[in-house]
Amino acid sequence: MSAVAAPGASAARLPGAGARPSRPRRWPARVVVLAVLVAITAWSWVAVDVDLAVIAHNFSNAQNTLVQLFQPDYSFFGETLQPLLETIQMAVIGTAVGCAVSLPLSFLASRATNPNGPLLGFVRTVMNVVRSIPDLLYASIFVTVVGTGALSGVLSLFLFNLGIMVKLISEALDGVDRGGQEAALASGATWLQADRAAMLPEVAPQYVSQTIYVLELNIRASTVIGLVGAGGLGMLIDRVRTFYQYHYLSLVILEILVLVLLLELLSSAVRKRLVR
Amino acid sequence: MSGEQFEGAGLRTRTGAGIRFEHVNVTYPNGYQGLRDVSLTIEPGEMVAVVGLSGAGKSTLVRTINGLVPITSGEITVGDVSDGGPADGAAAGATYRLSALRGAAQRRLRSEVGMVFQSFNLARRTTVLNNVLVGRLHHTPTWRSLLGAWRADDVELAMQALERVEIVQKAYSNASELSGGQQQRVAIARTLAQQPRVILADEPVASLDPPTSHVVMRDLQRINADLGITVVVNLHFLDLARRYGQRMIGLRAGEVVYDGPAADADESTLEEIYGRSLTAEDVLDAPPAVLE
Repeated sequence: MSAVAAPGASAARLPGAGARPSRPRRWPARVVVLAVLVAITAWSWVAVDVDLAVIAHNFSNAQNTLVQLFQPDYSFFGETLQPLLETIQMAVIGTAVGCAVSLPLSFLASRATNPNGPLLGFVRTVMNVVRSIPDLLYASIFVTVVGTGALSGVLSLFLFNLGIMVKLISEALDGVDRGGQEAALASGATWLQADRAAMLPEVAPQYVSQTIYVLELNIRASTVIGLVGAGGLGMLIDRVRTFYQYHYLSLVILEILVLVLLLELLSSAVRKRLVR
Repeated sequence: MSGEQFEGAGLRTRTGAGIRFEHVNVTYPNGYQGLRDVSLTIEPGEMVAVVGLSGAGKSTLVRTINGLVPITSGEITVGDVSDGGPADGAAAGATYRLSALRGAAQRRLRSEVGMVFQSFNLARRTTVLNNVLVGRLHHTPTWRSLLGAWRADDVELAMQALERVEIVQKAYSNASELSGGQQQRVAIARTLAQQPRVILADEPVASLDPPTSHVVMRDLQRINADLGITVVVNLHFLDLARRYGQRMIGLRAGEVVYDGPAADADESTLEEIYGRSLTAEDVLDAPPAVLE
């Protein structure tokens, strides 16, 4: 064996290497974090009075419902077509308009692309408010303002999309390498020109991929917001549920499942091609 | 490559601009002093190498010339810096005083000053051609730049710039598919598309291997010689500075400690600039001549 001994040999330490650092003690902090998490969960459990026995107790009531749910009535299919189409249309319009409007707003909401501090703060504050309101609440508001139907659904989806897209794309812009932008500014371009020529191409694949993701979210969301009257399959679900027509309901659920699966296949195929 | 194939084409020679520093000081917001009382004049069409240790102010010096770094006091003039005004018959371009230059006037100056960066600074997810066209943004209306509807003349100019750095066959490749040396040549083409009067190069070869470094330096040298564009280039490697610069400016702690012909700089002047003896790490190619 050579003079430079194998690791582990007691005499292997290089001269002048200095003292090795002692291993930092991290476990006390971890124990505290874990204890806090357990405490919060336990407190929530007790506070909302979760009683698992209720499930077993009420199971006999559910039996009949479950039997109906597992026997979808396919003859109902014809009546679901129109609401199904409306759900897709609402989702498409909401996505198209929401994502189109979100693009310029994303550039205004990113520190990397908007040098105007007050404007940046204003846009970010407004977008935080837009994003903090859940889609179902938007739907209930719009149903009271413009009435039940697809229009309230589209408006809710639009704001729902705006919140998500501006957040995701402005954060993507924050993380992009700004070299191209610096070069454009150094060549006498305006900020708008530099952002368009050097920053947009860098986030374009993410923008397309997020748009497809948002379309997927919208299909799911548009079924839910229908429950409060904002059009689409959700309104149908609300109707059949009210009359305890669970074999109809199960067909609608089945359709949503198929639709979401198809969309997911499509979106993952497209995104795989984009992210390279 | 001869200059004649570019005659009459879009990349025609314009008179290079002169640059004059008068008692320029730069103090950064954190209190760090980048430049101390720098006074010097760079003649139109000169090729100047700026050398010094990192932190000596090389980058600051170069970046004050296009206003990327604002000067704290003093004055920088870009354009006509001759004492008696423009010479007879000389088609003098605009002259800019940087201390008060803001907004549209600053953008106009920047359109006449091209810049090459250490890290190439390309938009990596778009084509080489689109990157070169960035050099035409200043002359392109906003609606055209938003739509990407470039003028045919500007596309032609960009193609000629790519031909000049011998990389036109990559025009429609994505910038990310190119090697470092190729990316830097695209960046040089981008400055050429500006039809600049000055090219600033901030450590243009620091991210490249030695053979590629020479290719890029020769490109800059040829552009200076053939097109008459004033070139100011920051270099860490002393042998490159002596080989490609006509004139060398040595900076140490923000002050000019050497200013003279690059060829005259011997080992003692270089040690004066660096404040220590030279090592093999100060030169690009071994065996280093300066160490003999």
